Amino acid sequence: MTATTATGGGSAEPIPLRENRATPRRHWAPVVRNREVAEATWWLEVDAPEIAAASRPGQFLMIGFGVENTGAPFIPRPFSVGWRSPEGVIGLLVRAFGAGTRRLGALDPGDDVLLLGPLGSAFRPEPGRPSLCVAGGVGLAPFLFLAPEFRDRGHEVRLLYGERTGARVFDPDLIRELTRGDVEIWTEDGEAGSRGLVVEGIDLSDDPILMGCGPTPMLQALARTAFEEEIPLQVSVEEHMGCGIGTCQGCVVPAAGGGWMKACTRGPVFEARELQWEL
Amino acid sequence: MGAVSQRLFGVEWQGPVLLASGTCGYGEEYSDLIPLDDLGGLVTKAVSVEPREGNPPHRISETPGGMLNSIGLENVGLEAFVREKLPWLEENLDRARVLVNVVGNSVDEYAAVVAGLDDEDGFLGYEINVSCPNVEGGTMFGTDREALGRLVERLRGETDRPIVVKLTPNVPDIGAYARVCEEAGADGLSTINTFPGMLIDVDKRRPVIGNVNGGVSGPAILPMGVYLTWQAATATDLPIIGIGGIRSAEDALQYVLAGASLVQIGTALFVDPESAVGVTEGIEKYIEERDVGDLSELVGTVDVERPARVGLGYE
Repeated sequence: MTATTATGGGSAEPIPLRENRATPRRHWAPVVRNREVAEATWWLEVDAPEIAAASRPGQFLMIGFGVENTGAPFIPRPFSVGWRSPEGVIGLLVRAFGAGTRRLGALDPGDDVLLLGPLGSAFRPEPGRPSLCVAGGVGLAPFLFLAPEFRDRGHEVRLLYGERTGARVFDPDLIRELTRGDVEIWTEDGEAGSRGLVVEGIDLSDDPILMGCGPTPMLQALARTAFEEEIPLQVSVEEHMGCGIGTCQGCVVPAAGGGWMKACTRGPVFEARELQWEL
Repeated sequence: MGAVSQRLFGVEWQGPVLLASGTCGYGEEYSDLIPLDDLGGLVTKAVSVEPREGNPPHRISETPGGMLNSIGLENVGLEAFVREKLPWLEENLDRARVLVNVVGNSVDEYAAVVAGLDDEDGFLGYEINVSCPNVEGGTMFGTDREALGRLVERLRGETDRPIVVKLTPNVPDIGAYARVCEEAGADGLSTINTFPGMLIDVDKRRPVIGNVNGGVSGPAILPMGVYLTWQAATATDLPIIGIGGIRSAEDALQYVLAGASLVQIGTALFVDPESAVGVTEGIEKYIEERDVGDLSELVGTVDVERPARVGLGYE
């Protein structure tokens, strides 16, 4: 289909992705460690126990440098909580797209960043069904956090992870260490894992629910599958963001049935049927 | 009465810092993060007669020292504002003052919002938005002195509450527009709204902003805001609320010295919600350290004497 829109036939009723949210906290946090884990990609660890303890998989935080800074990033940037340690260290997956993200990649241990979080909605497991998590690029981040958390609560998780090139693949051993489970890797150049698009790895034989985070074309492919097969799909969306807490109305995405929804407070995790899709 | 409190628009203001319209929602969103009721006040997101959906994304983008936005006045509309938003403001803010930002496509629409709000509780007065760069006709009243005068006169007839007019920087002589507002019965001015701007994605060869153009805010516009505030202040006797790129007490004090009695903080809130608190504290410190009696003694006191020739060491 081209130039048509789809909503998957569902309504846009609020659903429980938004339950039990903690009040966001704003505080400075030191960088503990920052490692280049793939081409132009860093695993940034910050010490933020309060935000870590309150975070749920799929939620995000804003990371910035305070008002004395006018260089990029001037406006704080949203990042999925990528992982948390029992001691309260948060891992963030950073890829260089511009000057702001390059600066985050260049942070050293001891540097301070200003955090606001946790923010937004969270992924939600469905009891008795595996969560099939499909990640594209740095869309991997929320699932590094989700996989061990869901597994600890007795939910089965399968993780598919795609990148354009092998050089961009986040170290599979580190993924296994962080998620305490396996990962299936797909690359378009075939230099790591299987050659092809990550959505080719989708196997629905064990009646999973789908969760996705990554580039929009990947999410569209997931939505087509989910609507055709009538499988629940939760997606984490990305949009330019200002405040992160719902005041500026900058980060809207199209709502099923018309109008806009804020990615920061209604999202970033939506049921696919809540969104308006071009499929 | 503290050194930063003032009497303006018929009431006591405990501090000079307000949160700017469009950056603090309807107040509630920031209540968990900063002590709102300790601030001077806030200006709500714009309210129009009917709800507005706003513009397509991207609605914002970073630009050096600031941001470009085109939200398109998305708001819940008058009825829902009265039903859902005003009660929270009334219940939760005692000392902080609330101005409701008002927009419309016609004099009648502005008047309908003011008439629809005037008997409600929970706010002090109005900030009349004649300067939004992001909707068709958004600056229609702000760039036409005759239309501006008619609008303010009409609203003056609708309310005894304070009317503050938020002016656009996109006029050749902001002082003339300030005088029009004063003559038509306005109580104050907010200077300034955002500057129109555009960013282009060179890979896609498309505008970054969904609505093509947007308004530039943030530290990048500080000197323009200070200058236009000074121009407006020297043209009228109306109290002025200075806006544009403020993120520190020093920035705010520049507006005060240029002629603003109050200031608004917007974009800096996104960078750090606590910036509004820090600005107030910094102004208090400045007053204390320089042995100034109170804030009002500083308003408009910039010395712009321009000697033809000076010697080394001239101050």
